[in-house]
Amino acid sequence: MDLLFVLLINGLATGMLIFLLAAGLTLIFGLMDVLNFAHGGLFIWGAYSGVWMYHVTNSFTVGIAAAIVTGLVIGLVTEKVIIRPVYGNHIQQILITLGFMLVLQELIKVVFGPSQKAVAPPAFLEGSFMVGDIVLIKYRLFIILIGLVVFFVFAYIFKQTRIGLIVRAGVMNKEMVQSLGINIKLVFMVVFMVGAALAALSGILHAPYSGVIYAEMGLEFSILAFIVVIIGGMGSFKGSLVAALLVGCMQAFMAYYVPSLSLATNMLLMVIVLVFRPQGLFPVKG
Amino acid sequence: MLRHMNKGTVIYLLMFLLLTLLPLVVTGRSMQFILIQIFVFGIFAMSYDLLLGYTGIISFGHVMFFGIGAYSTAIMFDRFEPTVGYLVLAVIVGVVLAGIVSFIAGILTLRLKSHYYAMLTLALAGLFLVAAEKWTSFTGGNDGFTFGLPDILRDSNMIYLLCLISLALLFFGLRRLTASPFGKVLMAIRENEQRVESLGYHVLHYKVVASVVSGVVAAYAGVLYIISLRFVDTSVFATDFTIDVLLMTIIGGVGTLIGPLIGAGLVEFAHHWLSGLADVHWIFERWIILYGTVYILVVIFFPLGIVGTIRAKLTRHPLRKRNDLKGVGS
Amino acid sequence: MNSLLKLNQVEAYINQYHILHNISFDVREGEVNVLLGRNGAGKTTTLRTIMGLNSVSKGTITYEGENIANEKPHIIANKGIGLVPEDQGIFADLTVGENMSVAMKQENAESTKRLEWVLELFPDLKKFWRKPGGQLSGGQKQMLAIARAYVNENELLLIDEPSKGLAPVVVEKVTESIQQMKDQTTILLVEQNFLMASQIGDRFFIIDNGETVHHGEMEALKTDKAMMKTYLGIS
Ligand SMILES: Nc1ncnc2c1ncn2[C@@H]1O[C@H](COP(=O)(O)OP(=O)(O)O)[C@@H](O)[C@H]1O
Ligand SMILES: [Mg+2]
Repeated sequence: MDLLFVLLINGLATGMLIFLLAAGLTLIFGLMDVLNFAHGGLFIWGAYSGVWMYHVTNSFTVGIAAAIVTGLVIGLVTEKVIIRPVYGNHIQQILITLGFMLVLQELIKVVFGPSQKAVAPPAFLEGSFMVGDIVLIKYRLFIILIGLVVFFVFAYIFKQTRIGLIVRAGVMNKEMVQSLGINIKLVFMVVFMVGAALAALSGILHAPYSGVIYAEMGLEFSILAFIVVIIGGMGSFKGSLVAALLVGCMQAFMAYYVPSLSLATNMLLMVIVLVFRPQGLFPVKG
Repeated sequence: MLRHMNKGTVIYLLMFLLLTLLPLVVTGRSMQFILIQIFVFGIFAMSYDLLLGYTGIISFGHVMFFGIGAYSTAIMFDRFEPTVGYLVLAVIVGVVLAGIVSFIAGILTLRLKSHYYAMLTLALAGLFLVAAEKWTSFTGGNDGFTFGLPDILRDSNMIYLLCLISLALLFFGLRRLTASPFGKVLMAIRENEQRVESLGYHVLHYKVVASVVSGVVAAYAGVLYIISLRFVDTSVFATDFTIDVLLMTIIGGVGTLIGPLIGAGLVEFAHHWLSGLADVHWIFERWIILYGTVYILVVIFFPLGIVGTIRAKLTRHPLRKRNDLKGVGS
Repeated sequence: MNSLLKLNQVEAYINQYHILHNISFDVREGEVNVLLGRNGAGKTTTLRTIMGLNSVSKGTITYEGENIANEKPHIIANKGIGLVPEDQGIFADLTVGENMSVAMKQENAESTKRLEWVLELFPDLKKFWRKPGGQLSGGQKQMLAIARAYVNENELLLIDEPSKGLAPVVVEKVTESIQQMKDQTTILLVEQNFLMASQIGDRFFIIDNGETVHHGEMEALKTDKAMMKTYLGIS
């Protein structure tokens, strides 16, 4: 029982990190019809720049802020330089973002060095509580908390603000949004930057959780995010949360019981969804 | 006989003949090995071109067919005997398996948007990689295993010839296929799928056939690859190969067949030289940056690739200038 | 009378297909101008091209004296042109209310008053205010699409086949609403339902194979059986 609970907490924490990555991916896909294979690059840049700042200033909060700023800046550059020239062309987008992913990944090694870096959680998040017999690791709860906060803030924005409505409308029908006098390019840019910032946030939060960071983890982790986007339904924000928690828990339980097959089970899950419900669990109506 | 061929065919034939004679001049082991790799990856890249360049389908797991061919050959030689008979059997097994897998992947996702095929193939390739890692009794896991070759292939010149002849045959075969009415339909699908569908063609059938042919050819490339190495490990399922072959196709020129061959040559030589330059300056150790950058620039500025760009310049046909990648899969 | 919108020898492509070959017409201020023509003649493409959703390869589109050809759609929309597209373009997962909010360029006392007026015109929308747009009936969707165009003070409305697929009673309702708008804005209407078109139209243009082949007063067309037969397939 305790074990199950611990695994569940692990799964939810992993799931929340995947959610942060997948949320941006799914929004960018839903709104701009762009499958951004460079998304994992934003994740590692968030992790490295955030950790660097965290180590320099000794403040994790500053580290998180730095990661978010990095995400916004790289997101802006990516949208303007990499994505703009290839809007409306899936194949070129896939190709170009894949190339950019490689560049981002290798640049990490150039800027921060090729070796892994160890990262510990900040003092105030270190350690654990006991509730009954159950050990609750603080940092994991912290990740779950942040994930929930992000989800609810965004859910509020989507429901209650004009920009949120425009984004949702844009996911369904871009041309109509433009015909109603809204500059969709501007909306694209904002969403892309926000999505990039979420990926970077996921990266910095992931760093103390896994204890080490390395350049290749971007691609590894983003594959999980892609799986989530497909399972949840491309373009669905809510779907990305549900699917991320599902994949996170699957990952945690499999990693404990059959560690060698954890990624494979998630891949299998995606294959099953692709076969039986290709529009995902929460399809977005066009 | 020559009278019935067009000029292009004659030139290509002459080039292949020249390459046959090359081992007489080039005796260096490593140079010969690079050439073999170019032939192997040339075949692999042509198979990718049939998918991406001619039909407008993008696969992120193309390496799985390559790996299927590689493992079926290696296991056949390892389990049974390294003879020509088993080689033929291995080719048959590899090709049939690859055909089945690509058929299933195609039937499942080719009716959907292009991302789905990309993602499904990525996932399937991942599953094959895991299977190869875990099924150690068969595959030797991550450590891999070495195996013997049929007597006739002990001489590396013979491997060279085998790869070259295979390349030539497949090149002319695929060229014929793409110039046939079937190939014309594929290209029409790439340009405007709905249009082709509305003309009464069963688009899905065409795409699935393209995907199967492409998978089969890639599996054959895997067979040759593994013969040239005499060693197999799980890296034959690694995504890196898919990315390599994508790059070769794009740089050389999608939808040209000859382009991917040129791309294979460039990328293989670049691999060789750039990693050799690592001692000169550390940046060359990070040569993937250059690689990625070149690739991005090509996608933005030369979406037709080398061959496509040259052809567009030569013919100045206004429609050819609209780059071949544009308008695909929207 | 003043010309509000003028298309001069407009040509347009969709992908590589040459769809509009030569579209020229003049929309006069304050009138209902009807675009007629067979299915596939290029009427929808013409409206989309005016809206900037389709690029112009040759020719000019002059709106209030300014060439808006190849201008971005949102800029064209903000000049006071509203579109009710053929497929209605309802945001299916957004409620009726949310659909209206996306359309409203500003929210102040005046726009609220206008919204109330629009809702009086289409009481159904008020009734289903919280219902997702995708769950409305065909007629209600059409009304929502029209309401979104009415809620801003547009000078020109482009309305694409509002009667398509609707029951006769609903068509009457839609016709009535367009007549109500007539006093306030200029309308360019695509309509296959000749009865409806002739009821509200002042002038007509006929498009055939991507070319404007005829134009004139609606009254004259009603009696011109030969022209109707040749271009509209009505006998
Ligand atoms: N996406 C498209 N690709 C190719 N041809 C198209 C496309 N959309 C419309 N067309 C063609 O453009 C022509 C004009 O279409 P349209 O403007 O919708 O006609 P109408 O509204 O008068 O019925 C038709 O022949 C149609 O087949
Ligand atoms: Mg129409």
